Amino acid sequence: MTRLRAALGRTTFGGATLSLIGLLLALLWLVPLAWAVDTALKPEAETTVMPVSWIPSEFTLEAFRIILGQGDIIRWLFNSLLVASLVTILTLALTSLAAYGFSRTTFPGRRWLFAAVLAGIMVPPQVLIVPLFDEMRALGLVDTYWGMILPQLVAPAMVFILKKFFDGIPRDYEEAAELDGASRLRIFWSVVLPMSRPILAAVGIFTFISAWNNFLWPFIVITDPEMMTIPVGLYSVQGSFGVRYAQTMAAALIAGLPLVILYAILQRHVIRGVGQAGLKG
Amino acid sequence: MAVHTAVRQTSAAAPSDTTRTQPLLSRLGGLWFVLPFVIVYALFMVWPVLTGLWSSFFNTSLAGGDSEFLGLDNYLEMVRDDAVWTSLWHTILFTLLSTPPLVLLGLVMALLAHRARRLGWFLRFAYFAPFVLPVTVVTLIWIWLYQPGFGLINDALTRIGLSEVAWLTDERVAMIAIVLTTTWWTVGFNFLLYLAALQAIPRELYEAASVDGSSSFQQLWHITLPMLRRTTGLIIVLQLIASLKVFDQVYLMTGGGPNFSTRPIIQYIYETGFTSYRIGFASAISYMLFALIVVVSIAQFKLFPAREESAS
Amino acid sequence: MRPTHTPYGLSRRSLLAGTAGIVAGIGLSACTADDLIGNRTRVRYWNLFGGGDGARMTQMTDAFIESRPDIDFRATTLAWGAPYYTKLAMSAAGGRAPELAILHLSRLGGYAPGRLLDPFPLDMLAELGITQDRFLPDIWNRCTVDGELYAIPLDTHPFVLYYNVDICREIGLLDSNDQLIPLSGTDELIEAFVEARRVTGNLGVSLSTGDVSPWRLWWTLYRQLDGELFDESGTELILDEERGLEALEFMRRLSIEEEVAPRGADYQAAVANFSNGQAAFLFNGGWEVTTFQTQQVPFSMTTFPNVFGNTNRTQGDCHCFVLPHQRNRDWDNTRAALEYVAYMLQNSVDWAAGGHVPSYLPVVESPEYLNLTPQSHYRHAAENVQLDPDVWFSGSASDMESQASGAFGAVHAGTNTPQEALDQFRGALQRLLDTPSPV
Repeated sequence: MTRLRAALGRTTFGGATLSLIGLLLALLWLVPLAWAVDTALKPEAETTVMPVSWIPSEFTLEAFRIILGQGDIIRWLFNSLLVASLVTILTLALTSLAAYGFSRTTFPGRRWLFAAVLAGIMVPPQVLIVPLFDEMRALGLVDTYWGMILPQLVAPAMVFILKKFFDGIPRDYEEAAELDGASRLRIFWSVVLPMSRPILAAVGIFTFISAWNNFLWPFIVITDPEMMTIPVGLYSVQGSFGVRYAQTMAAALIAGLPLVILYAILQRHVIRGVGQAGLKG
Repeated sequence: MAVHTAVRQTSAAAPSDTTRTQPLLSRLGGLWFVLPFVIVYALFMVWPVLTGLWSSFFNTSLAGGDSEFLGLDNYLEMVRDDAVWTSLWHTILFTLLSTPPLVLLGLVMALLAHRARRLGWFLRFAYFAPFVLPVTVVTLIWIWLYQPGFGLINDALTRIGLSEVAWLTDERVAMIAIVLTTTWWTVGFNFLLYLAALQAIPRELYEAASVDGSSSFQQLWHITLPMLRRTTGLIIVLQLIASLKVFDQVYLMTGGGPNFSTRPIIQYIYETGFTSYRIGFASAISYMLFALIVVVSIAQFKLFPAREESAS
Repeated sequence: MRPTHTPYGLSRRSLLAGTAGIVAGIGLSACTADDLIGNRTRVRYWNLFGGGDGARMTQMTDAFIESRPDIDFRATTLAWGAPYYTKLAMSAAGGRAPELAILHLSRLGGYAPGRLLDPFPLDMLAELGITQDRFLPDIWNRCTVDGELYAIPLDTHPFVLYYNVDICREIGLLDSNDQLIPLSGTDELIEAFVEARRVTGNLGVSLSTGDVSPWRLWWTLYRQLDGELFDESGTELILDEERGLEALEFMRRLSIEEEVAPRGADYQAAVANFSNGQAAFLFNGGWEVTTFQTQQVPFSMTTFPNVFGNTNRTQGDCHCFVLPHQRNRDWDNTRAALEYVAYMLQNSVDWAAGGHVPSYLPVVESPEYLNLTPQSHYRHAAENVQLDPDVWFSGSASDMESQASGAFGAVHAGTNTPQEALDQFRGALQRLLDTPSPV
């Protein structure tokens, strides 16, 4: 009995039963995705038969073929990738520079400016959709990539998290580099950033996920279907006609699986990142 | 890792004193670091906040044309408009219904996954994977699951002898359906926060308790849960604020229906501003919501201060 | 001690590669999709045909694209309803709208002609054979605002009755020509639905209680009762309580008392229930012809039954082409768009195969169209189609329709009594009337 317990893991909470419950819950949690995959692989006519069954007369990739053939979804994947990547890179750059500035330098008005930036954490972007759209319209940025990207760079919470992290780094390394004559920027780049890789990875991963999945703002600022990102395009464009559940699920999977696979690969980093953010927050 | 322990043990020092004696220009050097972010921040957060407030006093229309100054008329209309208050109520109801399961289930999942060895990777994958899906994918899948007749959930219900539920077309259950979907989608984040916190609890505490002969349940109650108090506070705060901003999944699953029974306040803002073209009026409502969220945020940060606690 | 290299190898090469990547990304993102395309005449066309007629539209558009390789033509179908109209308005407000779009005629008044929409150049149209005399005068007039033409009608689409031929034959509702015998009056209709339900085991008649279908059904019934909503000037509400209730009571009878219609079904489910034989009848617009033909459902169609009198009165609307506002209009692109419009009109018998009644008189009067079945069975309904009243907040997928459908859909569900629903709708209408028009 004890060997079994050992195999199933530590037993502070009564291992075997709990492992079973955990496993069942995990399987239950995967059912929606599994059902989506199953539906996408069925012939269209069999998706709505009753009673419901998991095994169709044949499995087929027809739905995927049709969706991919329509071309829109490839375009949207490209848009999502472009926008999410740029948002992530630029956010990391802007927020880490700003956090370093607030943490290590001093200039007139520093405290006041930092407080002003912090105040922004309380402003929910959803509340700004109306004036932001008006502003984009005035700037001629409706239906452009920059129109999508720029408002997403406003990440005061990241500045806060990064500043806190920088505050905690011992200054010895930087002071040594300063004595060697390195400029502030160079110190930032060569000394501080490399030491911050875990937190930067965390910020980067979460920014990427949130930019990729952002629905509301791209939904507002983009009306041209060719410019849409995945979440918006999937909703706005009716590629298939009539009741086509297999195709709908196929499109959903093509849109959703890339990030799931990415998560499976990067799981360790994601978990560490959330942990960092949570413990520091 | 060495860097992390170093981080934990040193305290933050004030910026080096040598900079105070430097000439003004190089003191301003620090400004260059923050300037790029601050410019973006000013342009795309501060400016819209101000212009939003400004247009709330006019009858600006999406369709162009002249805007007249209305004074406080938009705000007065907002107070008298039932739809503003019912949709605000829907948002609050969503928050009240979704927060308990999202917090409790996240905790349960973390407890289950914490001790798992070989299963650990699988559990962490299953519980968190939905979180990385875009909202459109989540809602497409769940709308499909909720269908009457050939939908998987209703099929399961009828197989065990219960009657079907009109998940998305019955006013009485639509909000619950949305809460269920939201739970599936986002509980993973709370799960991870709890997991990290659990892993930070020193094992010695449990070992000492075991030696003293306490049961697993007692350990859970007297050690684990109290140690998680700060994390729970954080999670509740984040959850409440996020729920007040709900829009996406409601809009995608029910469009605010049936019969407007699930329409959240953000959707109403969207409809007045963009569907009915009344930008000025929509701005007034946005401001009311903004003020509300600020009040709630401040209240919460006073109740759950975000401070590092020592593990003693 | 100074670190001589980073633990993670941020070498010069990766720095250069990273910078190059960023610069490329920024360069790319500075342009929009348009700039990447090139210099052919370009037409972007938005429509909202997601039902069975969508397949038809795609077919016809593809044929046009093939015949005109000199035009870079891109058609996009957006989700029907408020999302489509909101998106179109926002893109017109942003000044980068598509060259051509579809609009329901009932929405024209509320779409700020002159600001969100640009007028058609009549001379160019005449060159392409699109002139006033080729359309019904009532419709053409409604397309004209302040002396300028803002819409070109493509079709009219009334609310119709689909029926499953096999099931109706079984319950003896077909005449010697295998067509549905005319059903009139509430009792006769209910009786037919009850019989149908006996055969299907589930529903008699399928309908949607979501989207805007409840409005369509109610407006049809209300107009058959001669009910009106607004006075001549469009500023006063003259909703007839008795007639409004009578219409709602019939809807309630269908779903709650006789249980021949569903209490809750979204649009997709409504269509699916008819195609998989769970119901023998369907109340819907005529655009699902292609869907049912593809799925080989044994069906036919006819005008909506005479429930309360005034047989040919049914709710309906017209699809029109419009020119959304563009800040810098390219006239070559516009001309190409008009050539597409002319093509669609001249070939609208193909469009009619998808279920709509063409507006272009030369086609409507042609033998080809008159031979189309089951489409020609309901063409007379188009002559007397009941568009939404002409006020700025009405029209297909408008706020008024969603308010109505919300309230009336709840009657099907049983959560609103007819009185409650009518009161709710009356309140919504009054509020809309009191709101200053933003157009």
